[in-house]
Amino acid sequence: MTATAANSAALAAKPQTLWSTAWRQFRRNRLAAACLWIIVIYVGIWLYAESVYWTAYLRDVVPSYKVTDFDARNAAPSLRHWLGTDFTGRDNVAQLIQGVRIAFEIAILSSAILIPLGFLLGALAGYFGRWVDNAIIWLYSVVDSVPSILSIISISYVVGRGMKGIVIGMGLVAWVGLCRLIRGEYLKHKQRAYVAAARALGAGHLTVMLRHIAPNVLHIVIITFTLLFPRFILTEVILSYLGVGIANEPSWGVMINDAKQRLWLGVWWELGGATAAMFFLVLALNIVGDALRDALDPKLKTAEGSAT
Amino acid sequence: MENTNQTLLDVRDLRISFFTDEGEVRAVDGISFSMKPGETLAVVGESGSGKSVTAMALTRLVPSPPARYLGGEIIFKGRDTLKLSPEELRRVRGAQISYIFQEPSTSLNPVFQIRSQIAEAIELHRRDVKDVDAEAERLLTLVGIRDARLRMGDYPHQLSGGMQQRVMIAMALACNPSLLVADEPTTALDVTIQAQIMELLKELKQKLGMAIMLITHNFSIVADIADNIAVMFRGKIVEYGPTQRVLHEPQHPYTKALLECIPRLGAHKHRLKTINHAEIEAALGR
Repeated sequence: MTATAANSAALAAKPQTLWSTAWRQFRRNRLAAACLWIIVIYVGIWLYAESVYWTAYLRDVVPSYKVTDFDARNAAPSLRHWLGTDFTGRDNVAQLIQGVRIAFEIAILSSAILIPLGFLLGALAGYFGRWVDNAIIWLYSVVDSVPSILSIISISYVVGRGMKGIVIGMGLVAWVGLCRLIRGEYLKHKQRAYVAAARALGAGHLTVMLRHIAPNVLHIVIITFTLLFPRFILTEVILSYLGVGIANEPSWGVMINDAKQRLWLGVWWELGGATAAMFFLVLALNIVGDALRDALDPKLKTAEGSAT
Repeated sequence: MENTNQTLLDVRDLRISFFTDEGEVRAVDGISFSMKPGETLAVVGESGSGKSVTAMALTRLVPSPPARYLGGEIIFKGRDTLKLSPEELRRVRGAQISYIFQEPSTSLNPVFQIRSQIAEAIELHRRDVKDVDAEAERLLTLVGIRDARLRMGDYPHQLSGGMQQRVMIAMALACNPSLLVADEPTTALDVTIQAQIMELLKELKQKLGMAIMLITHNFSIVADIADNIAVMFRGKIVEYGPTQRVLHEPQHPYTKALLECIPRLGAHKHRLKTINHAEIEAALGR
């Protein structure tokens, strides 16, 4: 109460939001910061791949990564083809780059189904409890009791194979984990005094649920997203490897599936390239996801908040 | 908010119970009291005596289940709030009956700036206000926050407990309520801040003319501000009357015991008095 004007001006000049604190905490983790750069590079490659794909699509020509060259089949790495070519003479680097595009598209589109679904169901279950909770627990227990690969395959047979099948399949199957986490957070937060205070101000249930509690649990969504991202990529690879995934586009799973048949010929570059591309992205995402979880952990945050 | 009726709030034979595995707990067991506009009523009692449940019940904020409203009436401005629809209740909450709670640090939403928390209180009930920011600033200044404009961008954790409670009061005042329910407003604060907050409540009461229902277990803060005192014990009002009468001529053994618990400056006592329930029950002849 006795703060001088200069003092309070200095305080006001240095806004200390939830996210700025988390960002400082995150940057302290060197490894995670490096991994964030790897992800930024992947995002750059993804955007480039999109531009290649869409230019070819709009001009109605065969995109460069699909141009075959039968004279240079299974060519070894050279200056012209850094990672060699595949069995129809297509450049492996160009295909890997398109693989980044497929991976990002699948992860983002699946998340666009999964996150609203998991969040909303979790919020409803945790906030309203009783029969709503029971119904939603029943629903996700059923979804969870079927091996996810099997459900994704069956869903993709229903809605059609390829990108659409994978995206819808994963979106409808993988929401369970997020839903559980969000439900738990809502159970905890609905007991907090600020919820009682909001109710006492005359706020309705939906307002409390979506406007007051949701921002307090939003970090869970971000963490889940970064940790699910690699799972999407791996699932796509497995599905494509099983032959029910992407067709006609060079995803990493398709490349690995194709390359396995020529490994005995000593053609390792295709398999090696796809695996390495996947490895670095998945690793970087996992490390960043873990670091984000640490940075956004509410307990750590309060400890730091009271110290400042 | 003109009200020709002379009573603002009339609670008659209110009964609220919690049904648990161990059986029925009568949190509020047939209490009656009334308040005039602008009156300050202090409800005093120890933990678990039902005073907070009573306060929350005024706008049916006690969730049911587990609670059950078994009977009685709460007539606020001529309408029984126990019979209002959820929609109508929301228009009473915050607009006509406002609350401030015990723990200001947890009662404010940690992820929002002060500005938006006060703005919400205004937007919920006063759609006609154009310049919400200016109104929020006026309210913050009213509750004694300096440099209100600068402070509005702060997050709750950047404020001290006393300032957080001031912000809570500003939110409660946003819609000019005719009744402010202060549920242990100073319990979580240290003594000097307690005095400041009580001083502020007294000042606001004179300035705005609203009625205050002050819930507390602390007799020492009520003498200054309360017109009437209701002492609650095990879900019942055991003593109810003008402040001076209750403080100086307590009738009920429980009130006497509570008053004896107040440590006095300069009194040479080695032990603080505690309340012996068996003794009180014996005095009541049960």
